[in-house]
Amino acid sequence: MAVVYMKRLEEEPESYDSKFTTLTKGINLNIQDWIFEKLDKSYSILEVGCGTGSLARKMALKGNQVIAIDKNFNMINQAMQNYPATLKEDNLLYQIGTLSNMPVKEQSQDIIISTFMLSELKPFEQQIFLRNAWRALKPEGRLIIAAEFMPSGFWKLRFNLKRWWFKKKLQKLNLKGTHINKFFFHFTKSIGFKILSENEWAHRSIRTIELQKVKLNENNEPGFYKPQPRSFKGIKSQLRIYRCLFTGQIDSVPVEPGIYRSGNPNRDSPIIVTANYEYTYIKVMRDLKNIDAWVLCIDSNGINVWCAARGNDFGNTQLLNAIEATGIEQIVDTKTLILPQLSAGGVSIPQLPNKFPYKIKYGPIWSNKIKEFLEKSPTRKPDSMKLLKFSLKHRIRAGITHITFSFRKIFIFPLLGLSILILALNQLNSLFWVGELALWIILANFLISIFFPLSTFTRKFILKAIFYGLINLFILSLLIWIIHSSLIYVLLQSVIIFWLSFFSTMSFSGYSMATSPREIQLEYPLFRKINILLIVIVIVFLGLNIFNFLKLN
Amino acid sequence: MKNIKQDACCNTTSLDSVLRALGIKIMIKESECTGCGLCAEICPFGLPQKSETGKYEISHPELCTECSACQRNCPVNAIILNEQKGCGCLWNARSVSKNDKKGCNCS
Repeated sequence: MAVVYMKRLEEEPESYDSKFTTLTKGINLNIQDWIFEKLDKSYSILEVGCGTGSLARKMALKGNQVIAIDKNFNMINQAMQNYPATLKEDNLLYQIGTLSNMPVKEQSQDIIISTFMLSELKPFEQQIFLRNAWRALKPEGRLIIAAEFMPSGFWKLRFNLKRWWFKKKLQKLNLKGTHINKFFFHFTKSIGFKILSENEWAHRSIRTIELQKVKLNENNEPGFYKPQPRSFKGIKSQLRIYRCLFTGQIDSVPVEPGIYRSGNPNRDSPIIVTANYEYTYIKVMRDLKNIDAWVLCIDSNGINVWCAARGNDFGNTQLLNAIEATGIEQIVDTKTLILPQLSAGGVSIPQLPNKFPYKIKYGPIWSNKIKEFLEKSPTRKPDSMKLLKFSLKHRIRAGITHITFSFRKIFIFPLLGLSILILALNQLNSLFWVGELALWIILANFLISIFFPLSTFTRKFILKAIFYGLINLFILSLLIWIIHSSLIYVLLQSVIIFWLSFFSTMSFSGYSMATSPREIQLEYPLFRKINILLIVIVIVFLGLNIFNFLKLN
Repeated sequence: MKNIKQDACCNTTSLDSVLRALGIKIMIKESECTGCGLCAEICPFGLPQKSETGKYEISHPELCTECSACQRNCPVNAIILNEQKGCGCLWNARSVSKNDKKGCNCS
């Protein structure tokens, strides 16, 4: 659904209300009515994420005692401007506030309300929000939430299409979207809420939930949520590994963040911190080989450690959130966290708060050395544990990922288009040619990934690209000549192969992990020029190819 | 709003521009390095090397990928890095170049 687009509307607080109503097709107003049904007398209410304050205003006018907070200054500012003049009593208060810093006392509120804020929170933040809300509520106080959820069946498809469309729009504006609430219903019970009532709108894509605080223990504290153990052995998890390999090693495939157990850890077992990417999780668990250890998957947005660290998804914020939300301090006595070495690009030890309860140790670079690392616990890691080698195994994996990436994101539609064109021209027996083009894409990428160490003579990717263009041109031309023994055909294909290899080498830059962003950004304009030029030539040659088929038949 | 965007995008301090002018990517300030060796532990390319004085220096600065791991974890802030946001991926470079055109006027 369209709630993802509210990120754009938030930029203009003046028009936020009316535009948001249009965006949700008036559902937000229905939800407000539903909420008012729940307010049968006057209560003390805290609204978290009040936006421009339209709901808070109405609730205050109905005689409730309302404190409304939002972390966005512009929103609070707008809410103040709309402060109702008729409100004589001082029962509406707007404040800047966040989830972890709610400006109310413990056990002071009858009701906490939050509409359309949940999807801005990641799983750990949702848990922290639930825990803080629990603390702020009076015994048996209620938490009322309206949020966007993934519908099921046919509506899921429609939901995803719409979401994709709005996300594209947001990307153009350089704004991040909201998250999909995947795990929210897992959290409520263990943190200490029971569901009183629920309602749904727009084919279950928007839901409202009324939760009630339940006392869990004698010390009057909310509980912690622990994800279910997740299998990492067997065919199913192997398939999940392949899924990650084929969908690209940087695409988001999250497992639930939280504490997992390897073997039978006790209060003194080591704590291994890692990302919540499916592939990473399975690899780490397998490489631990059932050694007794706690595995803390932080919420890296379902992205691998290296990319997450570079992209602000694995840093101090995520680490602190993980420690607060999981309550690991109360479960384990160990005071050292072992972080993946590659997360150092995002985590900063000196910038952690003074009260940070753990000592951080950077572990081995690849998870397959984890066992050795835990056994020896070296003060200085040997080179094998810390140096990045883009070994054949890694290169083949990267090659496979890059091939699927190329097809999914770039070549699928051009290849389909060519097939249709050939069918339209009634050249059925030339269809093999499209298949061959697909084969050249696969082979070109494979050769690049295998021969990658040959190009260490330069750091300039454009030179590498030309180098592999020539190598592949030679090898694949030879292959084509062996298959077809037609010199014309070889000539017609040669430019296409050169461009394919040129382009693929450039696109492969991110996989080597040894590329500097500055260098590649500096090279980009020149690459773009060469690329456009080559594409024009390639299109001419594709045309010549088709013309050649027409002539042959 | 526009100003905020502009500032975020032209996030350059004077130190950055000095380093850029000198063509320096990364260096360890010898006077401040305590020789603790954390940088050498986390650099995936093994660039920080212990010198004769017991302090560390960057052996092949041209191989640095500006991942900032050493700089952000150095306990005495002895590492100067001319950092560039982004990862080494072509598609990231593409979006950076697009955004540059869109209205960031920094040189």
